[in-house]
Amino acid sequence: MTLSLTTQPAGRTAGTGAVARGPRRPLRSFWPQYLAVAPFYLLFLIFGLFPIGFSIYLSFTDWDGIGKIKFVGLAQYQYLISDPRFWNAVGNTLVIWLLATVPMLFLALVLAFLLHQNIRFKSAYRVAYFLPNVTSMVAMAIVFGSVFSDSFGLVNSALTALGVNEVPWLSSNWGIKITIAVMVIWRWTGYNAIIYLAGLQAIPTELYESARVDGAGNWHIFSKLTVPLLRPVILFTVITSTIGGLSLFTEPQVLLGNNGGTDEAGMTIVLYQYNQAFTQFDFGYGSAIAWALFIIALVFAVINWRLVRERSTDSSSQRRLWTATTRKGITR
Amino acid sequence: MTRSPASRPLSRRALLGGAAALGAAAATGGLSGCGSPASLSADPSELVLWYWNRAVTPELLAQAAEHIPGSPGRRVRGDLIGAGFDTKLRTSLAGDAYIPNITLINSNCALYFPNESLFLDFSELGAAQYRDLYYPWKLKLGTTPSGRLCFWPLDTGPTGFYYRADLFDKAGLPSAPDKVSAAIRTWDQWIELGRELRANGGPAMVNSAAVVFGQFINASPERYFDEQDRPIFAAEGSAVRRAWDTAVKAVDAGITGNQQTATGQNSAWVTGATAGHIEAVWWAEILGDTAPKTKGLWRIADQPVAPGNSGGSFVAIPRSCKDPEAAFNFTTWLTSPANQAVAFNKIQLFPSSPASFERGGLRADATFFGSQNMLRFFSDAARRVPSTFVSTYESQVEAFAAELANVESGGKAPEQAWEDAVAQVNRVLKKRGVI
Repeated sequence: MTLSLTTQPAGRTAGTGAVARGPRRPLRSFWPQYLAVAPFYLLFLIFGLFPIGFSIYLSFTDWDGIGKIKFVGLAQYQYLISDPRFWNAVGNTLVIWLLATVPMLFLALVLAFLLHQNIRFKSAYRVAYFLPNVTSMVAMAIVFGSVFSDSFGLVNSALTALGVNEVPWLSSNWGIKITIAVMVIWRWTGYNAIIYLAGLQAIPTELYESARVDGAGNWHIFSKLTVPLLRPVILFTVITSTIGGLSLFTEPQVLLGNNGGTDEAGMTIVLYQYNQAFTQFDFGYGSAIAWALFIIALVFAVINWRLVRERSTDSSSQRRLWTATTRKGITR
Repeated sequence: MTRSPASRPLSRRALLGGAAALGAAAATGGLSGCGSPASLSADPSELVLWYWNRAVTPELLAQAAEHIPGSPGRRVRGDLIGAGFDTKLRTSLAGDAYIPNITLINSNCALYFPNESLFLDFSELGAAQYRDLYYPWKLKLGTTPSGRLCFWPLDTGPTGFYYRADLFDKAGLPSAPDKVSAAIRTWDQWIELGRELRANGGPAMVNSAAVVFGQFINASPERYFDEQDRPIFAAEGSAVRRAWDTAVKAVDAGITGNQQTATGQNSAWVTGATAGHIEAVWWAEILGDTAPKTKGLWRIADQPVAPGNSGGSFVAIPRSCKDPEAAFNFTTWLTSPANQAVAFNKIQLFPSSPASFERGGLRADATFFGSQNMLRFFSDAARRVPSTFVSTYESQVEAFAAELANVESGGKAPEQAWEDAVAQVNRVLKKRGVI
C-alpha cells in the first residue's frame, strides 16, 4: 500500500500525459476505462437501446404482438393526432401534474424550512416525511381507494359529519384528478423536502444570523432569503417532478383500472399507452404514443433548460440578494 | 494509468478484465435467447404446462408430474405464471422461443383466433370421441371461425342472480329463490322488483349498470360481431343495443348503485348497500372472501330471460409441442368428468362436462347460501346457456361499458353516450382494418 502511494504521483502525471495525447489513439490508451464501463453499456445496448430502436420501428407498423408485422408508415401518427382519447390523456396528465406539483413543492419547502429549525426529534420527523416514498404505491392506491370511496370513504364520512355534501371523488372528472394529485403529493412531498433540506444546509448560517439581527421574522427569512437561495435546487425538483408527472401510471391504474375511470378522467398518457399496447394488443399504436410522450417530455426539458440557463446568470449575485433587496422590505 | 508501475495496475487490470468478462458473459447470456429452442424443457419426456393460480388442481398436477395417464414415460411440469399471463404467452409465441408444450388460456381465447395456426386442432388429435362429454356452447366458444377446435373446455361460468334474502325480506319482497326466480322472468320485471326494493327503503339491486349490460350480452346468442367479424352492434334492435337500453332503464329506475371501483363494490357487498349481483358460479368464492359476515344471508335466483356464461378457461396445445399425443392425453385426462369433479371439490372449478354431475360425488358448501343447493342451481343453468360466437375484436369494444359508466355516474345523456360509444368503436375498428 505504502509502495503504491509513493508511486501514485508518477502514475498520475503519466495519466494526464495520456489525456493530453488522448485524441490520437483514445481507444488504445483508455482501454481499461472502456472495459470498466463496458458491462453496463453492453447490457444497455441489449435491454435499453435495442427496445428503444425497435419501438421506433413498431410505431410505423401495425402489430398485434404475435402475427405478421405490417408496415403502415405514418398512419399511427395520423391517427394519434386525430385521436380525442390521446389528447384527453395529454390534458389529464398536465392537469394532474399541475394539481400535484405546485402544492407539493410548496409544502415540501415549508416542511424543509421547519425541519431546518432547531427542533427536537429532528431525525424522527425526517424519517416520517420520507416514509411515504418507500411504501408500495399499489398498496397505497388501494388504501386511497377506500379513503376516497364515493359512498364508504373516510373523506366523505368526514364531510357529511361536517354537514357538507359528499363529493364523488372517484366518479367525477375533477374528483378523480384531485384524488390522484393527492396521492402524488402524499408520496413525493417528503422526498422533495429532504432534497430542500440538503440545499438549506448548504446555505451559510451567517446569512440567517444577519437576517435575524436585522429583525427579520420567519416568514421574511423564508420568502426573501431561503426561496431565492434555493432556486437551483427548486429547479431541480421541478424537473424531476415534471418527469414523474409525465410518466404517471401506477396511481391511476391501481385506483381506477385500465380505462382511467369515469369519462377517462384519470387516463394519463402512460396509462393510455399501456391500455393500447397491453390490453388492446395494438403495439404499433402503443409505440406511437410512447414517442409522442417523448416529444412532449423533450418540450418540457427545453423549457426547463431555458429556465435554468436564465437563472444561472444571477447565481453569483445571490449572496448579495439579502442585503440588496430584503433589508429594504423589512425596514419598510 | 496504462504506464504506471507493474504491481498495482496489473491487479487492477485483472479486476477490469474480470468485470468485462462478466459483462460479456451476461450479454451473451441475453443473446443466446435468439437461437434458443422452442420448448421450455430440454428433457424429451417432460411436457411443460403454463397455468395460473387456482386453475389446475394441485393433486392432479402432482399425479401428472409422475406420469401422464395413457402416455407412459411422459411427465408434466406445471409452471405457475403470475400476472400478465397473456402478455407472457404472447411474448414467447412471438419470439418462437421457450413456448410451453401445453398452456391454459382464459375466457378471452378469441383473442388468439387471428393466430390460430400457432395452436394444434384438437379435432385432428382425436377429439371426436370426447366431444359429447362437454357442453356444446362451451365447445363452440373454443372453436375458431374457420372451424378448428384449438381451445379445449376446462371450466365454465354459468350465471345467476345472487341476492340478499334478508334485505328482500325487510323490504317486504319475496325472498325464496323459486319465488324470486318466478318474479324476474324478464328484465323489466327485474327492474320493477328493484324499484320496489328501493321504494321500501332497500338498497340497490346491483353495483353498476355495467353488470346489467355485460350479463345481458353474456346470456345472448348474438354479441358484437357476426362470425365473419362484421360488426352488428349498431344495427337497429341489436343485442348490444337492447342490453344498453336495459342498463339505461335500470339506471333511470335508480336501482344501480354507481359503485364504479372495486373497493367501492366490495364495501357495498359487505355493508349491504347493494343487495345483489349477476355473476357466474365462481363469484360465490369471491363473495365468501369479501363479505364473510354475510354468510347465510345470500340466495341465488335465475337470471332474467336466460343464464349466460361469464369466464371459464381453456386448454391449448401450441404448434411447437414436442409430443402432441401426450399433451392431448393429458388434456383429456385433466378434463375428464371424474377429474372435473375433483377440481370442483378441491378448487371450485365449475365443470365443462354435464357428465360430472351425473356421476355424483360433487360437494358444495351450501352454508353461505342458507342451505340452497347451489350446485343443482348452476348445473341447471349451465344446460340453458345459449351458444354464441365471441369475436377476436371484442377487445376493441370497451367504449360501451365506459360510456355507460358516464351515463350512470356523470349523468351523460344516454343517446349521446351511445352515439359516442359507437363512433369511438368504429374509429378503432377502422384503424385496425376491421371495417
